[in-house]
Amino acid sequence: MVLSRRSVVYMLLVSVLVLMLSPLAWLAITAFKDSTELSAVPIHWWPHNPSPGNFGKALTSWDYFGFARNSLTIAVIYSVLATLASAWAGYGFARLEAPGKRVIFGVLLSTMMLPQVITLIPTYLLFAKVNLINTYMPWVLWGMCGAPYLIFLFRQFFSNMPKELEEAAIVDGCGQIRIFWRIFLPQSWPVIATSVILSFSWTWGDFIAPALLLDTNRTTLAVQLTYGYMNAHGGQLNNLVAAGALVYVVPVLVLFLILQRGFVAGISTSGLK
Amino acid sequence: MSTEQLTSAAGPAVQSPAGAAATRPPRRRPSLRTRRAGAFYVFAGPWMLGFLALTAFPLGYALWLSFTNSDGLSDNARFVGLDNYKEVFTDAETLHSLARTGLFTALTVPLTIVAGLFLAVLVNQPIRARGLFRTLLYLPAVVPPVGAALTFRMIFDRDSGAANGLLDLFQVNGLTWLTDPYARWVLLFLTMWGVGNVMIISLAGLQDIPRELHEAARVDGASPWQSFTRITLPLLSPVIFFQVVTGIIAALQTLAPLLISLDPTPRGLGSVPESNNLFMIHVLDEYFVGGRYGYASALLWVLFLIIVAVTFLIFKLSKGTVFYSVEPERAKTKTRTIGGA
Repeated sequence: MVLSRRSVVYMLLVSVLVLMLSPLAWLAITAFKDSTELSAVPIHWWPHNPSPGNFGKALTSWDYFGFARNSLTIAVIYSVLATLASAWAGYGFARLEAPGKRVIFGVLLSTMMLPQVITLIPTYLLFAKVNLINTYMPWVLWGMCGAPYLIFLFRQFFSNMPKELEEAAIVDGCGQIRIFWRIFLPQSWPVIATSVILSFSWTWGDFIAPALLLDTNRTTLAVQLTYGYMNAHGGQLNNLVAAGALVYVVPVLVLFLILQRGFVAGISTSGLK
Repeated sequence: MSTEQLTSAAGPAVQSPAGAAATRPPRRRPSLRTRRAGAFYVFAGPWMLGFLALTAFPLGYALWLSFTNSDGLSDNARFVGLDNYKEVFTDAETLHSLARTGLFTALTVPLTIVAGLFLAVLVNQPIRARGLFRTLLYLPAVVPPVGAALTFRMIFDRDSGAANGLLDLFQVNGLTWLTDPYARWVLLFLTMWGVGNVMIISLAGLQDIPRELHEAARVDGASPWQSFTRITLPLLSPVIFFQVVTGIIAALQTLAPLLISLDPTPRGLGSVPESNNLFMIHVLDEYFVGGRYGYASALLWVLFLIIVAVTFLIFKLSKGTVFYSVEPERAKTKTRTIGGA
């Protein structure tokens, strides 16, 4: 029997999908196991006595919501500021001409390739000198300057907008800032959504910057989760880790699913093309 | 968060200082061109300042530190010239971690790009529930690194992990995955799990290729494989090129082994299995455990120079193999805009 091309595609897709989603499935299964099942031999592929109580324990055995609040604080600070600052700079690169612009844009593009970790250690020393360690100020500063990748994203979007839009506004006596604020920014919500999600998930997922810059009491969920949940003998309680990790992962997944729809709608309604 | 909230929440803070300057009535109106140039600097200014203070200055600071024996604690850091750099190329551990990182990069970058392209072609087929397949295949790429690392630690746990459970079904004894020599496989699997990022960008590139080209090829009797190699690949080459560059840069500074290993706090390193002791792990180790800020800074600068050199080399080598149907910048543009989604 000859398989149709389409059914081969389905078979391939389904098998890859099973492979890709099985780690998340295992995380969920582990989160529902009780402590005896965790070490059952042979292992249980499905929890025999599901214990949803793991979630309650995972969220209360240390101040889960406190660390979640820290994560949320820096993620919101950074994503809001970085999105606005990147749109701001992106507008300049897209719509305005000035001597030296090409060089500056070249620098911007090359910083996109500059590994952030490389500046992180000297940044740590600098922030230590001006007493910004264990504060959220670094994220405020980073946010206010925008991110090269996001600036590039906004620049591309603004470049594609019709020139007439701007000319009409200039005739009406609008300054550049008004044009940006009243005309271009409101039109760019698909990019804004993309930028917010990207910058939010960068910060929510970031491990190394909070581990370096924040003490254990102000640090983020990403850092605190890696200390895990220990039993009296210093053993890792994997079912609680799984429950905690699941709750940690969910916000980003949900945001992404929201973005998916918002973005498609945005492209079709904003008259991008 | 809605767009309205966003703009109103942080609006005034950004708008007011520059806004005041622009609306002030000028005595003698400067030419439109001058005003546009001024406006450019108003818009690009914050980023330029940020670049100087938060990127250029730290980089320079690291350069200065790399010529000293600073330990970050005592103030009597001494200038030691090129000693740190000499040590980079004589320190066996550094050279090993560098070689490991090179191997890791040479392995994972092509693997993820080929796998990502393959998946992108699959989800670009006219099939039912295409959107669902795209979303679900991309999903793992959205999982935060720490979440992903914790998940993989559980799967590859010696006693309770699914990996050994699976091996058990085939009567194979459990392996200690998270230690040498198997830990490198866990790292490879973890890296490949994020293939959705490559898939999405490749997919955006595929969608940019006009359908008529493939139809014309089919009319002329081309096989699907010919159509893929003669039309799809050349037209996709800028996208692939972009992914090679960004993929290498990301791979060279991989921190994932730090997260998979058991005690991943920077202040308590040392538990990373040797086979996964990549360059960045080694740097953090020298920095936090060894307290050698000067030497760690030299290591970072060496990594930086390697990245610059590799990027330059790829740009050189790609001449003639990367095919731009439109001017390069536009080609990249579309990828970015859609890829960002």
